[in-house]
Amino acid sequence: MTKDLDNTDALRRLVAAVALGDRAAFRRLYDATAAKLFGFALRILRKDELAEEALQDAFVSIWHAAAGYQPHLAAPLTWMTTIVRNKALDMLRRQDDAVELDAQQFDADMLLAMQDPAAGPPDRMQMTDEARALAHCMEALEGRQRQAIGMAYFHDLSHSEVAAQLSLPIGTVKTWIRRGLDKLKTCLSKREAA
Amino acid sequence: MNIEDNPLLRDKLAAEYVLGTLRGGARRRFERWLATDAALRSAVAGWQARIVPMAEWSAVPPPARTWAGIERRLGFARAVPAWQFWRIDGARLWGSLAVGGGVAAVVLAVVLAGRVQEPQLQQVATLLDDQAQTALVVAADARRARIDVRVADNVKVPDDRTLQLWAITAAGKTRSLGILPDNRHASLRLDQRAVGPDVVLLAISLEPKGGSPDPNAPTGPVLYKGAWVKL
Repeated sequence: MTKDLDNTDALRRLVAAVALGDRAAFRRLYDATAAKLFGFALRILRKDELAEEALQDAFVSIWHAAAGYQPHLAAPLTWMTTIVRNKALDMLRRQDDAVELDAQQFDADMLLAMQDPAAGPPDRMQMTDEARALAHCMEALEGRQRQAIGMAYFHDLSHSEVAAQLSLPIGTVKTWIRRGLDKLKTCLSKREAA
Repeated sequence: MNIEDNPLLRDKLAAEYVLGTLRGGARRRFERWLATDAALRSAVAGWQARIVPMAEWSAVPPPARTWAGIERRLGFARAVPAWQFWRIDGARLWGSLAVGGGVAAVVLAVVLAGRVQEPQLQQVATLLDDQAQTALVVAADARRARIDVRVADNVKVPDDRTLQLWAITAAGKTRSLGILPDNRHASLRLDQRAVGPDVVLLAISLEPKGGSPDPNAPTGPVLYKGAWVKL
């Protein structure tokens, strides 16, 4: 936990330095976050070259927007991830061919991805405590709730698009997502209190 | 719709906004509320903190070239004018010159020494193109107070252009040593101050006929460069 807080603090200091035009700090910020952000862009876009472009777009924006970063509203990595997601989704919308989703495969992939990498090869990037807690709480959800939430977030699907992917009525999907999010919130606040 | 007194609805909309399922007009309306409603902004921040860490689940290192692309897009590499090559990636430039240019210069100095009658060569440089091919030889002769410049046969210069020789100091200042009127060879006046101990490089730029309009710096591309070696 302490180490994680230190990391967040270090990233915050780097973003502050980047806001002042410090290029060396910008490079360190990139080194510290690029693997997580690239992996995320890759999950959305599925193609290396597209993910690479999205990551570059995002870091150009991060350089320019660093002065406007509000540390009290979001952790640095959360802020950067949101920028990457927006860039990746912009690119996804410009693609002609829609991403083909296989609902079962998607859930299996997601369950695999949320395994704590600390248990895997040592060179894999450590998850933050927030990511580990979220993985724990997502695993506790019913499969279809988890699937619907994950699909909506990673692929920017609307309620009706998730419904189409899962071949279910839209009302059902709305309820699943709603309940799933409520359970997540409860689970996460319990872990926070613990 | 008034959402101010409905905390459950506010939280639900904030969650859907972050997840991305809030769409169209509802999303735009929500964004308008966000602009004036600080409590709603913190509700969004709370949901971002919950949901966004999903992104961390699948770290993959990006290709090594990705960073260079970011620097290029931000214009970092172009912060120094293109002709000021000696400020770009200094260590690598110095390294290659020290090994390649230095050896070549000494060898050529010996060759030159044999051809010029009783010269007193102080300093020499071999100027190379960007493929490390020798393009010019420059030698300073203290006895005659001249700088002799010879251009290799394979160097072709358009008729409406002039080659100009520059001294470059360790601090990055440029001093013109003169032009090569026929673009083949020249004997320039040796100004000890112009090629003093602070000079580390010589360079040739391609200028309009008659030389650079700016007396203090090249305006055209720098074609050849080499270390200025004391003998």
